[in-house]
Amino acid sequence: MTLTDRSQAAYLKRYEPDDDGLRFQPLLYQGNYHGMEPIPDGILGDKIIRSRMKSKVLEKVSHAEVLNDQFTLDELNDLNNYLAWNIWDVLVMRATEGVSGMIPRQEYEILSFMNEFYRYPEFMRMVTDSVGAQGIIDIGASARREIGTKINCVHDWCLGAVAFGMGRCGLLAGEWIKPDEYVEESNIILKFMQRVLWGKRQDGLILNSQDRYRCQIHEDDFLADLRTQIVDFEPGSDEQHIFEQFNATAELLAFFDHYDCRLGLGDTGPYPLPDGRLLIVRDLFVNEEVFHWSDVCEELPHCYTLLVVVDPAVVGLEEIRVNDISTTFTLPKNYVPAITGGAVLVREKWDTPMAEVYPVKLHDLEPHMDRLREATFKMYKKTAAMSRHTLCLNGIYSYYIEMILPHLRRAGMYDEVCAKKDFWEIDQRVMNYYYEITKRNFVQVTVPQKIFSGAGYLPFSDEADLRASKYFWG
Amino acid sequence: MTVLAEGYNVFDTGKQPSGTMKYLGAPKDVIALIQSGKLKEHILLVRGGTTTFLAPALSMGAIGVVTMSGAPESHLGILSREFQTPCVMTVHLVEGSDSRYVPGETPDSHFDEIVAALDGKKVKLDCSDHDKGRVLLAE
Repeated sequence: MTLTDRSQAAYLKRYEPDDDGLRFQPLLYQGNYHGMEPIPDGILGDKIIRSRMKSKVLEKVSHAEVLNDQFTLDELNDLNNYLAWNIWDVLVMRATEGVSGMIPRQEYEILSFMNEFYRYPEFMRMVTDSVGAQGIIDIGASARREIGTKINCVHDWCLGAVAFGMGRCGLLAGEWIKPDEYVEESNIILKFMQRVLWGKRQDGLILNSQDRYRCQIHEDDFLADLRTQIVDFEPGSDEQHIFEQFNATAELLAFFDHYDCRLGLGDTGPYPLPDGRLLIVRDLFVNEEVFHWSDVCEELPHCYTLLVVVDPAVVGLEEIRVNDISTTFTLPKNYVPAITGGAVLVREKWDTPMAEVYPVKLHDLEPHMDRLREATFKMYKKTAAMSRHTLCLNGIYSYYIEMILPHLRRAGMYDEVCAKKDFWEIDQRVMNYYYEITKRNFVQVTVPQKIFSGAGYLPFSDEADLRASKYFWG
Repeated sequence: MTVLAEGYNVFDTGKQPSGTMKYLGAPKDVIALIQSGKLKEHILLVRGGTTTFLAPALSMGAIGVVTMSGAPESHLGILSREFQTPCVMTVHLVEGSDSRYVPGETPDSHFDEIVAALDGKKVKLDCSDHDKGRVLLAE
């Protein structure tokens, strides 16, 4: 393929200002916009919903605005509405996947969402008090010069979309809270999220969906160093097959180690290469040492980072999205045959310095794949023997602990939050909900319907008091 | 060739894996199949669209997967694409039943009916269409 072929690829149209992008699924979103036209997915959906905003909080915002501690009520509601659509945009089709047969994911998900809404504000305030608003921005900015970091799209998005969006939605659905309660706590959560995301992107935006699904966060010189590791290969070659199989095998364990959720995977990009191909930088976290079940992964590093080079001309690429939960989707759907270059890098521990990250040659990957397969089978047998209650608790940890863990680590406050705030404890109200959520189809029907239709993200009313708090700030 | 069932095609591929359809209802079934050494003789039929249930089967070379719920955006859809393992999701029977999967509202009888119709059959997967994947009765 020539540079000319690639420069005429259809996907480039997606970056023209008037282009509305393609639809990746047929469903439409209604949310809080009763009586108005429903909203589709993708670039067009982002355009429509932003045109309905009352504030400018989802346009490019300034450093000074991000440092400001307080959102207005309109800004809070705009963030609520946008995140609700964004959650639908990235997850609605996944919502059809049904029961796991292995891990009670729907149950642990809603419990962890609600626990985060109750508990994260105190951690976020504690960290902000310690490092300051700029310090939170700097936590996000750290991702610009690192690979193998969980300061990434999905974790940063979860701080707001999950802890605030889905957590509040679940509590409202269960009628455990009212719409105008926890306004102060909501502001704390969303400010923390905004600062981290803004610091990471540094272009005034916070979400990939605002930027036509691009997450081009790495500094040019950092990216140039990474690119020196890339090895090109032909479609259908042995090298491509090895790389493809390694990617899949590591990704599978990364999902599994994070209890079948997206937190084990982190894509950034697409970064255009000089020859017209695209680079996706993909972190696969196959050993999260904070979780006791990761003992079966002890022969593996914290993270494998894959440099995935996609030739848009091979598949006639029409659109590529790196969405806000760090996952790459394309049209046509199957981009794997278009992978024509790659590299694998290893970060042994979460805090291994970048200078100590090392590459593994493609022909040396087989022993790594053996260890990945062995760990996957051990994890499977271990998980199959666990009770539903244990699986639920582990699942809660895999969200509630995991989603804010990278930020606490980066702030140097993980141990302090454990010691002073009982980080690994679950709010007693949420433990009680454990016995309620399987009744009356709450977890199987009510919550997914509220979350994925957008109907559950009730706005704050005009009478809401920005100071309204139900917290005991002990 | 007789079409037994249809569903979402996770990705377009010219691969047409064939084998005996095997329903896996519990983790112990997955473990037993892997330990039997006959994983690659079967197209795997599962109820959910999540990854964990089939995790070791995928990593050890499953040749084809059919699910009764889920979509290409489900974790299992993503992983089957990455492994380039043909996968048809949320299948329904083509003849003899109008039952369709609706999240949270589908009775067990829907799944039982599909299992009864497909389990043990010699089948081939056709995943050449952009959207629709088909389970064919192998001649």
